[in-house]
Parts: sequence; structure tokens; C-alpha cells
Amino acid sequence: MPSPVIETIGLTKAFPGVVANDRIDLEIRAGEIHAIVGENGAGKSTLMRILCGLYQPDLGEIRLRGVPTVIRDPRHAIKLGIGMVHQHFMLVDRFTVTENVILGAEGTRWGRLDRRAARRRILEICDRYGFDLDPDLAVEELSVGQQQRVEIVKVLYRGADIIIMDEPTAVLVPQEVQELFDNLRRLAKSGKTIIFISHKLDEVLDIADRITVLRGGRKVGTVKAQETDRRGLAEMMVGRPVLFSVDKEERAPGEPLLKVEGLSLKSGERYLLRDVSLEVRGGEIYGIAGVEGNGQTELVEVIMGLRRPTTGRILLAAQDVTGLPVGRVRGHGVSFVPEDRHRRGLILNMTVWENLFLGRHRARRLTAGPLLRRIVMLGEADELVQEYDIRVGSTGQPVSSLSGGNQQKVILARELAGQPRVIIASQPTRGLDVGAIEFVRQRLIAARAAGLAVLIVSADLEEVLALSDRIGVMYGGRLVKEVAASETTAQELGMYMLGSTTGAKEARDHVL
Amino acid sequence: MQRRRETMSYRRRLLELAAPLLALLFALLVGGIFLLAIGKDPLQVYLTMFRFNLSRLDSIGSILYKSTPLIFSGLAVAVGFRVGLFNIGVEGQYFIGALLASIVGFSLHGLPVWIHLPLVVLAGMLGGMLWAWLPIVLKLRRGAHEVITTIMMNHIAYALVLFFITSVFLDTEQEMVKGLGSPQVRMPKLLETARMPTMHGFLETLGIELPRHVYLNWFFPLGILLAVALFVMLWRAAYGYELRAVGGNPAAAETAGINTQRTMLSAFLLSGALAGLVGLSDLLGYFGYLDIDFPKGYGFTGIAVALLARNSMLGVILTAILFGFLRRGAEGVQAFEGVPMDTIVILEGVIILSIVVAVQIVNWYVRRQEKLMKRRQVTMERAGGD
Amino acid sequence: MIGGEMLASAIRMTIPILLTALGAIHAERSGIVNIGLEGMMIVGSFWAAFGAYHYGPLAGLLFGIMAGGALALVHAAATVTFRVDHIVSGVALNIIAYGTTRFASLSIFDRATTSPHVQSLPAIDIPVLDRLPLIAPLASNVSPVVILTFALVFLTRWVLSETTFGLRLRAVGENPQAADTLGVNVFAMRYAGVIISGLFAGLAGAYLAVEHTGMYVEGMTQGKGFIALAAMIFGNWGPIGAMGASLLFGLSEALALRQVVEFIPYEFFKMLPYVLTIIVVGGIVQRSRPPAAVGTSYERGE
Repeated sequence: MPSPVIETIGLTKAFPGVVANDRIDLEIRAGEIHAIVGENGAGKSTLMRILCGLYQPDLGEIRLRGVPTVIRDPRHAIKLGIGMVHQHFMLVDRFTVTENVILGAEGTRWGRLDRRAARRRILEICDRYGFDLDPDLAVEELSVGQQQRVEIVKVLYRGADIIIMDEPTAVLVPQEVQELFDNLRRLAKSGKTIIFISHKLDEVLDIADRITVLRGGRKVGTVKAQETDRRGLAEMMVGRPVLFSVDKEERAPGEPLLKVEGLSLKSGERYLLRDVSLEVRGGEIYGIAGVEGNGQTELVEVIMGLRRPTTGRILLAAQDVTGLPVGRVRGHGVSFVPEDRHRRGLILNMTVWENLFLGRHRARRLTAGPLLRRIVMLGEADELVQEYDIRVGSTGQPVSSLSGGNQQKVILARELAGQPRVIIASQPTRGLDVGAIEFVRQRLIAARAAGLAVLIVSADLEEVLALSDRIGVMYGGRLVKEVAASETTAQELGMYMLGSTTGAKEARDHVL
Repeated sequence: MQRRRETMSYRRRLLELAAPLLALLFALLVGGIFLLAIGKDPLQVYLTMFRFNLSRLDSIGSILYKSTPLIFSGLAVAVGFRVGLFNIGVEGQYFIGALLASIVGFSLHGLPVWIHLPLVVLAGMLGGMLWAWLPIVLKLRRGAHEVITTIMMNHIAYALVLFFITSVFLDTEQEMVKGLGSPQVRMPKLLETARMPTMHGFLETLGIELPRHVYLNWFFPLGILLAVALFVMLWRAAYGYELRAVGGNPAAAETAGINTQRTMLSAFLLSGALAGLVGLSDLLGYFGYLDIDFPKGYGFTGIAVALLARNSMLGVILTAILFGFLRRGAEGVQAFEGVPMDTIVILEGVIILSIVVAVQIVNWYVRRQEKLMKRRQVTMERAGGD
Repeated sequence: MIGGEMLASAIRMTIPILLTALGAIHAERSGIVNIGLEGMMIVGSFWAAFGAYHYGPLAGLLFGIMAGGALALVHAAATVTFRVDHIVSGVALNIIAYGTTRFASLSIFDRATTSPHVQSLPAIDIPVLDRLPLIAPLASNVSPVVILTFALVFLTRWVLSETTFGLRLRAVGENPQAADTLGVNVFAMRYAGVIISGLFAGLAGAYLAVEHTGMYVEGMTQGKGFIALAAMIFGNWGPIGAMGASLLFGLSEALALRQVVEFIPYEFFKMLPYVLTIIVVGGIVQRSRPPAAVGTSYERGE
């Protein structure tokens, strides 16, 4: 058997707090379409970044066609014939297709651009692999599928033999997905090797020859696509014991405190949210499961008042709050733990105690007229630090000096302290270490016990299963499945998350 | 736990001072180079400057007088920076403020001083606010960069004020001593009731005999009071908290429910109002009228004052006095050492540049320390923690 | 009212604005805001007078160009390497330019606000056009720099759209991360953009001193460095557009000088360029489209 075109042996890469790739042995053969699947955080992107020269591995070896190689940087990777098509396109919108393709590989140093020659080569490539592109159009005028093709042409233009595609179908509509797959098959037939990273099992089974599953930084196994099915893959991806057995008492939920009816959000031609309806009752945790990028962020932003929905209504304890600004929504008793701590959750150059009162600073008991009751605030801040076990020297420190876990505790403390009726927590344990994760989850359970309506959004399936009473799965901007946590399994949810059931198919067919 | 708390804040305080000190040192170095270039001994010049400034009472008074407009200017710019906006328009705003103040000052007859003077001051603030209004509205509604619009407003202000002085309110009834000089191109003189009294009387009661040719007036203590008031507002009032939040992270402020647009608007107008006061010390305390040679440049120096003080309201007092010190010193070294006064201007520009570079360098250093600390913290917590 | 003479005057007023605007285009399209162009014009004007006084007009122009470039180098270092806020750096440089120029003027010429008269370049008469009746004033007694400027407009256009350098420069201002992943040296491109802007601004200042006025006068730039930015914005960051916009501004300045309309006071005409700038920048006339990454610092990493 010929040596694999690319091979990794014991590849390991660690970051502070997490081992992203743990002794991974990978073996990819020439001319095959090889898929790498796994959940968020399984280590797929780190692995790919190493292969395309953005990261250097801590341990292990890479072999190209049997030869041990060090991939020094992206330029070197290109020289070695490895081309990466990023999930977030690296394109200059204003430039034409030609200009985007030749940027950095113009053929001359300072002199005249030879557009004609470049154009010719691009058309040749398009011809050979059946791409349908007009080299003279500006990239911003192209559809997303066409833009992706430009990215592929970019790497082919530079002579790539190995093409790595990172979540390529995340932004495509079904017809574009099929076109992409036809293109990929043609590329593979002509000898190119495709590495295809995805979390969408159906598609992976459709396009790949072989599939490698990653989980928690390790390789679980490699299977032939023909020899497995969705269940098998989902089991490999997700089948680990629940980390914490959470003590959740039985509760009879109360009134619906948060209700969303027919919420839709359009951006240009795309539906970011499509007719989403759900309700969360007091004393229950409703978990929204789904891989990131399927509308969860937008849903939460719309509910909070950071964005206006195109259609639909939002009701808080039967009061219509659709279109109200954030301050008013909060005034109805909603608290929010945003998914991006640093962007929306904290003001990094302010102190810990100042961040603990962000949004609540005008409460009557905290102010004396126009002035803040600093002593009261500092006292309360100390109490909160105690109660939430926030590891900090003094509440007068800038919050930027805290670890991620402690920062999240600050946000949690703040949002729960205001006696809300509804709390929305988006990716509440992302990037946290074990201790902090447990803490956050306990707090959310406690909020539930106190009668709050808790809406959590998490890409971590176990977390959703462990915490939620009811679960809604989002895929492609729609709520495709709603089920009681006790009546489902990770595998079943996984399949809905990955778009592979009849419900999801319907969703796909109804997209524009 | 207690001791850890203290050592941390000491370190942090030291670091806060590091950048301004570095910047000052660097600026003095550059100044020294310029001095060498014209054949002067830098140490000698700096020594003369210190001696001239600190050994004479009229110098000290002059320093405080010169610092007065800079206090207001620095406060105006600092307030702008605190909410995340760059108010370069202080220059134009204080001109319009002086214009309105002057008009109110010479045209309202028959008012007692305790009504007239406050009205004049208010007119100054109003003028500044007015001139700040268009740029901020254009920014909030159309995303127009406030830097370009305010600089344009500066130039328009110059022309407008010139127009008002020469064509609308030109004082044609000046008493001329025969054969001595030509009529000044100025607006009518302000009434006595519109003038700000100097501090000589008060200082006499303290036993300090301030020379007559120093015009230190009550705007100086007013400036200090205002700085303190702004400090209290910024750090103790709910509005000040919101202002800093919006300046620190508008997205997080918005998510918390703060109305970022309204906060930016009011803060920028506040900045304009402060700017309107900048020219009043000279106008009401010294000149007594607005003429075509009214001092320019306070707006730009204010930027240096604010940045060097790291936008601290109280710090502005110190840095304004520092710049007053430099300006007085420039007079001294020009007289005694033949060094041109423009060295000061160069120093101001160098200070601005070096302070922002120094801040970046200090930030880089701090971030490195924090990363190391965080790494240590995470490994500690993973191992079971405290 | 608007005759050949007026247009000739307008063109003369346009040149400094246009040159600086062309320079600004290079900087901004690479992603760096250069508010310090005014200062670069100032140093350009002074050192050009210095050079012309001692070594003749051509040397003067070269001195001016170099002076502008030197100041721009500082701006580039501050914004690209130290990642300082672009606006603050520009403002600081303007102040430094003003101060050092006064200082130098005093030291060298013993006068703070003016230099001695200097000789200009020999003027050109454009061969055929200077016979035609209406166009004659436009085509005779023309400074070579005027011709050079218009040539630079088209050269700039060509460089930006037809050369590798131009492509990479523009890429760096639109999406520096994309350019970086393709091996383009973002830092080098931005340095180049800024320094070129300084060279152009220096030439603009030099023209003012050597060709237009015949000497250096303090404050002769009068905010043209900022008006040039407006011309760039109005011209949608392109050389041809900037040319049109600059002509408009030049015309308004020429009008101001001649006080064409009786009952509108001189000062209001003087204000016209600035008011026009606000209107342009406020997007009141058109929605403008700056380079996508302008004003940002680039750091490889996340």
C-alpha cells in the first residue's frame, strides 16, 4: 500500500488549561475524501491549524508522503501543497475573483499585474473541475457558494494537492451543498486529497470515503463511510458518560414566564431565525441544543432587545416586550449571561465591584439621588464574592485580571443578584475549567429551584441533557425538535442537531 | 488576604504612573536634543527654568494663571475620552464660548456683578456646547468621524469670530490718546460687572503680596472645584458610572441596558460646555475684550494635558500646572538663555506622542504579567485550588 | 465672473489639496488614517523654502518632499509598530510640526513666521493651448508642479489598480487578515502607504512655498491637510474622484479670494471649504465607502 499522503503520529497540542489535541494518529490517503468529525471543542480546528502552518505542535510528528516534515507557517504549507479553505472566508469583498485569487501570488514582484494570464489560468481551473465562476465579478456580488468556490480556486491556483475544508457547508443552502460535493468528487477523482471537517453527519456520510472521529482531543477511530451510519457516528462522537450527575428535584413548573411566538429574523436573503416558538415556565430549565451558528445567538439577542425581529412576538409574563430596548426588557425581570464574556458581558478596564453592578446600578437601594451608595455596593460586592467563591484579591481589581472562570462567576453573580424572574444563559460554561463549570451549573439549578424560568443555550450536549427539563434543538434557524429531557438521549438529540432527521429535512427544503 | 490586597494595588498604582513619567522623561530628552542643536547646554537651561519658576512669587502666580485655561481644556478633552470620543474641537468651542461671553459681557447694562458675571460664564459654556452639538449629532446619526468634523468646526469658528469682531461688533468708539498707536481691532470692552476679579485681595489676607502684573483670578480655584466635581460625578454618581461604562465597552454597556447614544451625546455636550470656559480666564481676567489676537492653541494643549493625566480629572490639575510651569519656564529661558519659546510647543507634541507610545508599552508589559498570572491561577485551580 | 483667470487661480489652489489627497489615498487604502498630513505639509513648506533659498527651487522641492516623508515615518512607526491610536498620533505630529518649524525658522532665518523670498521653478507655457483665447490664462505661466500633479493622478490610478504593489496595498486596507494568510507583509505595506502620503504632502507644502507664494509663511497651509482628507472622502478614496473633489475645493478657495459676490462677507467664503467638508464627511450628500479595515491596528493572532 502506498504511503499515505499525509500522516500524523502522536500529534499533541496544549493550551493553558486544555489539551486540544492529545496524541492524535491520523492517516490520510491520496485521492480520498477524508472527513474529520467531532463536537465543538473536540480538537478539529486545532488539528487543521497545525496542518496548515498556523500552529506548531507540542509533540508528535507529521509526515508528508512518508517524509517527516515541519510545516513552518502558512506560506510554507502552501509550498508543500497544503491549501486551507477557512470556514470564515479570507476574501477581500471589493476585489474581483481574479484579484482575490492572485493576491500574494501575482507572479511579479512590483510590476504590472498580468490579469489576462491570471484570468486564463483561473478559467482553466474552473473548466477542469467544473466550477462556474466569472473571474471579473467582485466577490461581494457572489453568492456564498460561489465565494467558497473562489477560496477553493485560490488554493488550486497555488498548486495545492491537499485541500482542507473547514466546516464548508455551514453557510450553504442545500442546493449549494450538492454543487460543492460534485466539485469535491471531481477534484478527488483527478487525484486531489480532500480533508473535510464537519459536524453534519448526513453530509459527511454522503461525501466522505473515510471518517475519523475526534472526541475530547483524542481520536476515537477511523471508519469507512460505507461501513457505518448516523447512529454509529453519533455514538462515537458523543458517547461519553455524563460528567456530573446533577441533583435535580422533581418540580411542577409554574406559569410560562417567557414566551416566544413565530419569531423570524431575516438578514438580506437569509433567514437567521425562522418561525421560532417556545415557552419557558417558572421553575423549569429549557435548554436549547444545537451546534453554534444555527440561530441560537440571534434568538437570544432578539429576546433581550439587542436586535429587532422581522416578525413575531416576545412575551414576558404575558406582557408584550417585542421591540423594546434592552433596559426595558431587563426592567421586566430578565437577566442575561451573554456568550461572549469579553464583548458583551464585562467592561474589562473597570473593577470587579463595578462590573458586579453593571445594569443594576440605578436600583433605589444602591443610589442616594444621583450618587451611588458606594459603601453599600462594596459591602454587597464582598458578599457576592464570598457567596460565589470568586477568587480575587480585592474587589477593587480590574476584572481583566481574573481568570475566565472567575469572570464568568462575576457575570453570574450580577445577573442572579437582581432577583430576576427569567434568566437567559448563553454558553454559560464555555472556556471554563472543571470547578467553575460545576459551580455555574449548580447555580442554574438553584435558580430553577427558586422558581425562575431558565433558558440556557449550549453547544455542549451533555450539559443540556443534564440541566434541562425540556430541550429544544435548533438547526438552520428553526426549532426542529422539542422534547422532555427525560424522554430522549444524547444520540437522538445529536442527530437532530446535525440535521439528519425528517424534521430537519423539511426545514432544509423550505429554505429559499 | 489583606496583605495581598495591598501589594497588588501598590504595584498597580506604580504602573499607572510609569507611562506618564516615561513620557515626560523622553520629552525632556528630546527637548535637550533641540537645545543642543542650537548650541545651548540643556542642563543649564533646565536649571535656569526651575530657578526662574520657583524662586519668584510672580512666577508662581503666573504659572497658576497660565494653567487655568489648560485645566478647563484638559477636563473637556478628558471627559470626551472617558466616554470614548475624541474632542479635538475644544479649540473652536472655546472661541465660540468666548464670543458669546463677550457679547453678553459688553451688551447687558445695569446688572449687578453677581448676576452679570455668572451670566457671562454661562454664555461661555453655552457657546461651547453649541459648537459641540453638530459634530456629535453627525457622529451618532451618520457615523461621521468626530475628529474631522470638529477640526472643521475649529476653522469655521476662527473665521466666524473674526467676522463678528471685524464686521459686526467692531468697537469704533475707542478712546485714543493722540498720536499713540492705532485703534485695536476688537469688540467693545466688557463692562466692569462682567470682569472676573483677581485673587490679589484674597491672597493679601493670607499675607501673600502677589505682584500686580500677575493676573491670577478666581477661575483658577473654579477650575479646581470643577475638576473635583467632575471627579465625584465620574466615580460616585450613577451617570458618571454609565459614562465610563460606555467609554470602556459600548457593547457591554448596551447589553446591560444603558442607553449608549444618549450617554455619548450628553457627555460630549458636557465636554463642549467645559471647553467654553477655556478662554474665559483670559477674557474676563486679563484682556477684558475679544480681539483678533485672542490666544489660540489651548485646545490642542488640552489634549496633551488630558493624555498625560491619563484622563484623570484630578490628574488634569497637576498636568495643567505642569504645562503652566513649562510655559512660564519658556518665558524665562527665552529671556535669560535666548531659547525660543517654541521649544515648549515641540515638547507638547512630543509629550502627546510619547505618552501614547509609553501607554502601549506599559500595557504590553501588564498583559504579559497577567497572562503569566492567569496561567498560574488555572493550574492551581485544576490541582484543587486554595 | 468665472473666467479663465479665475479657473487658473482655482487650479493653483487645487494643487496642494489634490497632492495631499493623493497621498492620503495611499495611506487610508492601506488602512492607516493620517490626520497628520497638515503637519507634513507644514514641514514640507518650510524645508522647501530652506532648500530653495540655499540651493535653488528644485532642491527646495526635494527637501520638502523628504521632510514630509520623515514625519510620515514617525507616524508609521507609531501606528503600525506601536499600534497607537491613529488620530492621536496624527494630532501629535501636527503639533510637533508646528513647533519644530517655528523653532527651525527662528534658528535658521531669525524670523519665526516667514522665510526670505525664494526662487520658483521656471514657469511653463503649454504650447498650443496658450494661444486659445479663453483657455490662455490656464495654459500660460504654469508651474511644472501643476503638470506633475495631474500626471500623478493618473499614475496613482495606474499603480493602485494595475500593479502588484497596488493590489497588495489595497488588500491590506480591506482585509489585512486575508492578506496576511496569503503571505502579504501587512506591516511593510502600511509603512509604504503612510510614507508615500508624507512624500505627497511634503510636495504639496513645497509647492505652496516655492511655487505658489514664493516664500514660507507660517500658517500658509490653513487646514488644507484636513480639506484634503475631505476631498479624498468625497472622491470615494479614488484618484480621479479626489481630483474632482479637490477642484471643487480649489474653486471655493479661489472664490473666497476674489470675493465674487458683493454682499457675502469674505469670511463666509473662507468658511466654504470647511463647511463643504463637514457636509461631505457627514454623508449628507452621499454615503461613502471607506476601505473596510481603515483605522484599525493589525495584530496576527486571533
